[in-house]
Amino acid sequence: MIGLFGSGAMAQPGPVSLSAVTVRATAPERFGAGQKLQRIDSAALGQFRFQNLSELLMLQTPLAFKNYGGGQIATVSFRGTSPNHTAVLWNGINVNQPMTGQTDFSTLPVLGFDQISVQYGSAGSAVGSDAIGGSLLLRTLPDFAGVGLRPTAGVQIGSFDNMQVQAGAQYTGQTTEQGQGAGKTVVYSNTFNNRYPYRERGFYYIEPTTAYQQGLMQDLFWRNRRGGQWSLNTWLTDYAVTVAPADTLGRERTRTQGYRTQLSYEADRWTLRVGWLRDVLDYAKRDFSRPSHSLTDRLLTRLEREFMHTTANGNAWQVRLGGEVVHYRTRVDGYGGQLITENRADLYALLRYQTQRLTVSANLRQGFVTRFDPPLTPSLGADVRLVQRERVGLTARASVGRSYRVPTLNERYWQTLGNPDLRPERGLNAELGLTARFQPSPAWQLTSDLTAYRNRIDDWTYWNPDRGYRVENLQQVLARGVEWSGTVAYGQGRWRAGGRVGYALTRSSQLLAYNAYARDIVGKQLPYVPVHNTSLMAYGSYRDVRLTVQSVVQSRRFSTFDNSQSLPGIVLTDLVLSAPLKLGPVRARLQGQVNNLFDALVLNVKQNAMPGRSFALGLVVGN
Amino acid sequence: MNTTMTRFSQLSFKSAFFTTFALSLFITSCDAPDPEPEPYESGVVVLNAGNFFDNNGTLSFIQNRSTTVSTDIFQATNSRRLAGSMQGYNEIDGKGVILVDNSTAGQDKAEIVEIGTFKSLGTLAAPDIENPRQVVRVSANKAYITCWGATGDFSNFYPNPGYIAVVDMASRQVVKKIPVSKGAENMVVSGSEVLVGSVGGEKALTVIDLNTDTVKSKVELGNNPDPIGLDATGQLWVYSAKEMIQMNAQTKAVGSRLKINTTADRNVGNITFGRDRQNIFFGLFSYAADGTVKGETYSFTIRDASISLATPFIRRHFSGMAVDPTDGTIYAGVTPSYKQAGYVVRYQPNDRSVKDSIRVEIAPSGFFFK
Repeated sequence: MIGLFGSGAMAQPGPVSLSAVTVRATAPERFGAGQKLQRIDSAALGQFRFQNLSELLMLQTPLAFKNYGGGQIATVSFRGTSPNHTAVLWNGINVNQPMTGQTDFSTLPVLGFDQISVQYGSAGSAVGSDAIGGSLLLRTLPDFAGVGLRPTAGVQIGSFDNMQVQAGAQYTGQTTEQGQGAGKTVVYSNTFNNRYPYRERGFYYIEPTTAYQQGLMQDLFWRNRRGGQWSLNTWLTDYAVTVAPADTLGRERTRTQGYRTQLSYEADRWTLRVGWLRDVLDYAKRDFSRPSHSLTDRLLTRLEREFMHTTANGNAWQVRLGGEVVHYRTRVDGYGGQLITENRADLYALLRYQTQRLTVSANLRQGFVTRFDPPLTPSLGADVRLVQRERVGLTARASVGRSYRVPTLNERYWQTLGNPDLRPERGLNAELGLTARFQPSPAWQLTSDLTAYRNRIDDWTYWNPDRGYRVENLQQVLARGVEWSGTVAYGQGRWRAGGRVGYALTRSSQLLAYNAYARDIVGKQLPYVPVHNTSLMAYGSYRDVRLTVQSVVQSRRFSTFDNSQSLPGIVLTDLVLSAPLKLGPVRARLQGQVNNLFDALVLNVKQNAMPGRSFALGLVVGN
Repeated sequence: MNTTMTRFSQLSFKSAFFTTFALSLFITSCDAPDPEPEPYESGVVVLNAGNFFDNNGTLSFIQNRSTTVSTDIFQATNSRRLAGSMQGYNEIDGKGVILVDNSTAGQDKAEIVEIGTFKSLGTLAAPDIENPRQVVRVSANKAYITCWGATGDFSNFYPNPGYIAVVDMASRQVVKKIPVSKGAENMVVSGSEVLVGSVGGEKALTVIDLNTDTVKSKVELGNNPDPIGLDATGQLWVYSAKEMIQMNAQTKAVGSRLKINTTADRNVGNITFGRDRQNIFFGLFSYAADGTVKGETYSFTIRDASISLATPFIRRHFSGMAVDPTDGTIYAGVTPSYKQAGYVVRYQPNDRSVKDSIRVEIAPSGFFFK
């Protein structure tokens, strides 16, 4: 029942389930020894099922979000980096929007994923481009155990005339001579009318917006008798957000559509994966019938082979060799509207060695991009289990790794401003960590995780205002910080209680003076990166009735490179009460939520007020 | 909206914004002397445009003519931000009017403040005020604010006619809207008339009768006529399409048209009178292929028969420029980027030497001397 746990634990064998029939290819984070991994626990996934990932991660991790509010874009700053320095992997595939190289976290639902993990620090060698500050790992998993059909439906009604509807089913077939099938379907539809009863808060306008979000997730799995497994994963999204909808001249609409599907087959330690990703972005002002249009298709093929060897004394070697080819096809009005194609390829070798006390990983990746090759990217990391007793555990970890980012399509192809001669950004990340667990009595469990890191990024791209915002490799950024989190859990009879405290100190600054006025910038904290970020979560439950309080406290965020202006600090507190409900034979759960409990004034990056205290009532039936 | 698009449209938007800051009316109060000096009684108000989509325009205050700067003075007094781009400032019979242009439609406003403290006295909001451009005093307790109205997209940026919001400063209310040309911009008060320029592609200057608040006539002059002001001899100067037009302020008869003989890629900006209104400064700037802005500042006197571009007055282009009427010091704004504070560079009027450079806030683009 621990809210979240630090990663040392994750590096140990255990959480990766090996099916009885075959050895499944393991997740890339398995090759991230020495690095911190935080898995969001299932209680939180249930509790946040009507919310988006920026809302969950802001309350449960030190990730900072640059938020426009009201269903508009929310981008991440992970360990003091830019939004395009976080890799977002959906079942192993990077789904960052290729035009901007980033993900709008307000479009990532919490619902529908079976596992959400946050991998801290560079993972360029294991993941590829973008994994400079960290990675977000979203995964759907088959459930072969629970044979049958399990439908579920949910609805949440919130303040401001907002409503969310979800429906889905999980299904698992009987094992037959041929094999066994399983799957899951989830559809969701969110309507944010955002009818605020006030026009402004504390003299700051609330920006009028409406947002509609629809999505479908379809996962099908088939495992055959020969030990192979087919997976077909599909995730379709269609989101639209309109700013100033009532203003027929000034209204602006951004519509994003995502089509993501992948088919993989795993057998005999081979994994073959093919995928198709399409990102569509339409932006229009006033007349929505003639938007500025962007479309990018990606066709992906990946082949991996795993080698395993266990020595006589129980030490295990694991090597994964892989190769990937992605074909890009993009047509963007801002690039001139013509078809641009390019090919990207990656070759990688991931090694893991595990003994009783030690886990080491050593990885190497080389990316190839048309007219543009990223650097060779190695990494090395180790977990050392210093103390391993039943009630006490202490694990130290250390890692060092390179990372890189292939410039986005916008950065290279945008008319006039893009720069086809950009170099890849290169990062060098080193970190040290210590994870402890302690169980003073059977009723109590405590964990603590401390990490310090230093991440230097060279050739950081910058839309240079000196040159009319042409993009250049101008900056060099040093991000360093300390993260601590502690959890406590108590259980006695039908009572449960616990909590989590997280604190992050982040210093991220520009090192190079590239012109006369850049000396006002050197050494200053990067915009929108809070120096101090604290999150708190406490819960108590009796039987299945659970009360949770969660809070985030962030220091001010500078809005300029010279730190001459800032957005005020944030204190946001949410309260959630959930209780089981019996509807005849059907299991149900009722969840009431108070957001921004203390009605705090929070400004978004456009200096608009975010909404005050609001309420939501949700009902989930089944599952 | 994606990042690049934001930056790109911001750029186009900004480049449309190279506006001049016409010298403002200089009001002296004749009330009983205040025993306690107020913080912003005497000095220079610097208008910092801010970064358009960050809505973070501010007013800085240079105490007296020193190098002491107070930043974001509205926030310092009122504990809240203006929340928009800084578009204009003027003082009307003891009250200040701040024009604020928010990046979101329907969120523009004019803040009315006490002039010594910048304490807010009231707010004029949309739909009364939409895309405000300039505010002038037209008579006792009456101000005109030019507004574009709601703007459209880039295929048709000015779908509406512009208007003048007539503000009764006593009740702090917009009492009338006078429709004028689309893209209504700068105003010059001349006797009982207000001459209104525009940037929306129309060719006529609009003449308003300030007693009746009605359009009296239109004077065809050339594309986007921009009234500069009345010179030392009472002649009206208007800029239009690379011409400085001198005309009779009463009869509107054109006296002379001085051509600025330059290439098509060079833009004119920062037009302002020099000390005593005997000369006019203007900037010429262009975008180089690599995106850098190159430009210089020129000057000609109101008696010149032609404009010479042989020797620039200052070999530099600025994001804003004005002349201190008390001593002729030239105040020039420098904007290194829209994501960091800019500088005010002060030039001696006689030898054009740099007196000093003062760090202010983002995109210093206008000045108000008091």
